[in-house]
Amino acid sequence: MARRTVQIDLNRVEGDLEFQLELEGREVVEARCIGSLYRGFEQILIGRAPKDGLVITPRICGICGTAHLYSAVLALEQISGISAPPNAFRIRNLCLMAETVQSDLRQSFLFFTADFCHPKYAERPFYEKARDAFLPFKGWAHRGTLEHTRHVLGIVAIFGGQWPHSSYMVPGGVTAAPTSRRILDSLSILNNLTRWFEQAVIGTDLDNWLELKSADEFFAWLEASDGHANSAIGLLTRMSRDIGLHRVGFGTSHMLSYGAYCDPVGWEPGSQDPRHLFRSGFLDGKTGEIEPFDHAEIAEHVRYSWFEPYEGGRHPFRGQTIPDYQPHSDRYTWCKAPRYRHKVVQTGPLAELLIDGDPLIGSLYRAEGGNAWLRQFARLRRTALLLQKMRETLQELAAHLTDPHFISPAEDEIPDGEGLGLVTAARGALGHWVQVRGGVISRYQVITPTAWHASPKDSEGRHGHWESSLIGLTVHDPDDPVEIGHIIRSHDPCLVCTVHVLDTGKRMTVWP
Amino acid sequence: MSILCADSPSLEELVDHYGIEILWQPSLSIEPKGKLDALIEAILKDKQRLDLLCIEGSIVTGPNGSGLYDPYHGRSKMGLVKELAEKSHYVVAMGTCAAFGGIHAAPPNPTDCVGLQFDKKTPGGLLPIEWRSRAGMPVINVSGCPAHPNAMTKTLAMLVSGLPVELDHLNRPKAFFNTLVHQGCTRNEYHEYDVEDSAYGEKGCLFFNLGCQGPTTVAICNTELWNGRSSKTRAGVPCFGCTSPDFPLNQDLFRTEKIGAIPVRLPLGVERANYMAYKSLAHEAAPDRVLNKEMDP
Repeated sequence: MARRTVQIDLNRVEGDLEFQLELEGREVVEARCIGSLYRGFEQILIGRAPKDGLVITPRICGICGTAHLYSAVLALEQISGISAPPNAFRIRNLCLMAETVQSDLRQSFLFFTADFCHPKYAERPFYEKARDAFLPFKGWAHRGTLEHTRHVLGIVAIFGGQWPHSSYMVPGGVTAAPTSRRILDSLSILNNLTRWFEQAVIGTDLDNWLELKSADEFFAWLEASDGHANSAIGLLTRMSRDIGLHRVGFGTSHMLSYGAYCDPVGWEPGSQDPRHLFRSGFLDGKTGEIEPFDHAEIAEHVRYSWFEPYEGGRHPFRGQTIPDYQPHSDRYTWCKAPRYRHKVVQTGPLAELLIDGDPLIGSLYRAEGGNAWLRQFARLRRTALLLQKMRETLQELAAHLTDPHFISPAEDEIPDGEGLGLVTAARGALGHWVQVRGGVISRYQVITPTAWHASPKDSEGRHGHWESSLIGLTVHDPDDPVEIGHIIRSHDPCLVCTVHVLDTGKRMTVWP
Repeated sequence: MSILCADSPSLEELVDHYGIEILWQPSLSIEPKGKLDALIEAILKDKQRLDLLCIEGSIVTGPNGSGLYDPYHGRSKMGLVKELAEKSHYVVAMGTCAAFGGIHAAPPNPTDCVGLQFDKKTPGGLLPIEWRSRAGMPVINVSGCPAHPNAMTKTLAMLVSGLPVELDHLNRPKAFFNTLVHQGCTRNEYHEYDVEDSAYGEKGCLFFNLGCQGPTTVAICNTELWNGRSSKTRAGVPCFGCTSPDFPLNQDLFRTEKIGAIPVRLPLGVERANYMAYKSLAHEAAPDRVLNKEMDP
């Protein structure tokens, strides 16, 4: 059958995304992911004062700057051999949770569900409901999301001054104390958001919804009332399944989570087994076993990237990033290919909740696998869990009101050394690897969640996760490939991050 | 994402009440990306009216002036922006990157970034300084990293409702750039009496030791609060001067450079000798409640 190459552009992701696919008939037979924009963020950090990373790296990204700040400060604390008091971690966690809730709701109801309003679905039974709920600036879910995500970021502003792009996490703690006023203002925001989430997004009480533990219970709940079926998550689920999103978009079955939110009382920087509120781990998709995570198993390959070649893969502390632009070779991207234990992995809320052991997500995964709908559904499941966790965190702060939020390090200067900061951003595993020599940054490597997903082939020729989740897919209209939009958007791609940071930064293209 | 935080007016209000039709916004538009190509073509052929062109991000001119580090379908975004700017009634640079080059233009400026009509402080960026849009205005620079959400939406609201938009010497709307970050900072009393912090997490002023640029930076951060709630300086984070053309300064951002005990960069327009005299007197006059940092910012 004749092969043809098509280029596909995607909007409604954080940044721009282009794909080029090779089709036989309508089937995708080959795909590659290309980062085409060179920005050189790493070069800007080299030679600067170590703490400048707290100002520069949050600005890598418009939607997950808190996560970058958290990574950056953990790396500096490890280098300094210091930690921060429990209240500092509570505030850092609270702000990262608020940012994640914001991002998950915006991704779901501004980016993902808008595809259900596509004219292609005009004959589908759900079409009118989709437009009522999800049409940009008009649908009730779209407008509610605009309003309530704006408010939840107020929590970050209360403790950090502003969102996006503040630098309130500093080595030793955070800059603002948890006062009664700050806690009550945050609770008030959380109460309003929770009420809207219950009324509009899940159509039921938060605690009841979190009690759903299995696929059977969930589907029974969905059918139990019009309120459930016509809630935003009910519509998202029914529409996704009507068009078969529970049967596509699997990609690699290996999952990675760095663990989410440092345990305020159990955190030890540099520990081999750091404690988190949501567990870290590697889920081996072949055996189903969850194994302990070890950052030493991360390696980045450049065989198909525009960097000076080296053999195999290298750990980010030994990474080498020398641009070598070769547009007419078989190398095709500014992205490196990160691998974990030589395997292609995916990260994000689905991986996070499977590894942490959420019973509902585990049950749905065992029933149907890690499909595009479940990936999107897991993101909103996480929102519900985080609304609960944010309340607990505020209660803990209230119970420890007079405890310190900052402990001044004995030495103000960051000593020479190396440190890493690993966090779970909205999109999944985010890491900063930092080296300081002669009092200034000598190396700064960032691996973003999207870097794991958008990676090109590695030195063994293994496709990246997105590449593999598209190969085999049937595309009905290559000029308007809405199927690809659903699958790739279910990962919540953040191209700006991957673009700016991946060593030299890049924008993505996927191409056969 | 910053503009989604605007609340006065909000982005929805611009659509509902100011008659702004968003032809294309990469994160929000529902149409497939192919629509953008058709739209651009229609604008360039004068078949589609373009009232407002809002540009985000530094203009990448590398490598070798080609702009191809930031390509769009095989051509440079740089070239595309230039062509679209000629067609638009107003051109607005949203953020310090688009206005002045920003972080991407920081040394060593690996991709040769510039702003639309400035290169850092130097007049002339992608477009020469004498360039004017169809409405006779230079590029309107709503700088900031990010630009303040309400400064963005209010600028657009002013333009579409015919309110006058007066610009400063860096072509920033004076309505938002004629106020120091220092004005309205809740740590002002500490600054007034020269009670300065030297570690984070405290209640005093951040200007003398911790790198705060609030007294030298114009922006509305403390007069129109972020997310309706607060500002960096109120929360104990130094102002990094992100609305300024030289952001980020090429020095340690968390430390104030000083000559003796006095910062190198003084509050806008202040004479060093006068300032030294004032500061030594001020500290002497400080009440205990301020000296002991008893007051909450």
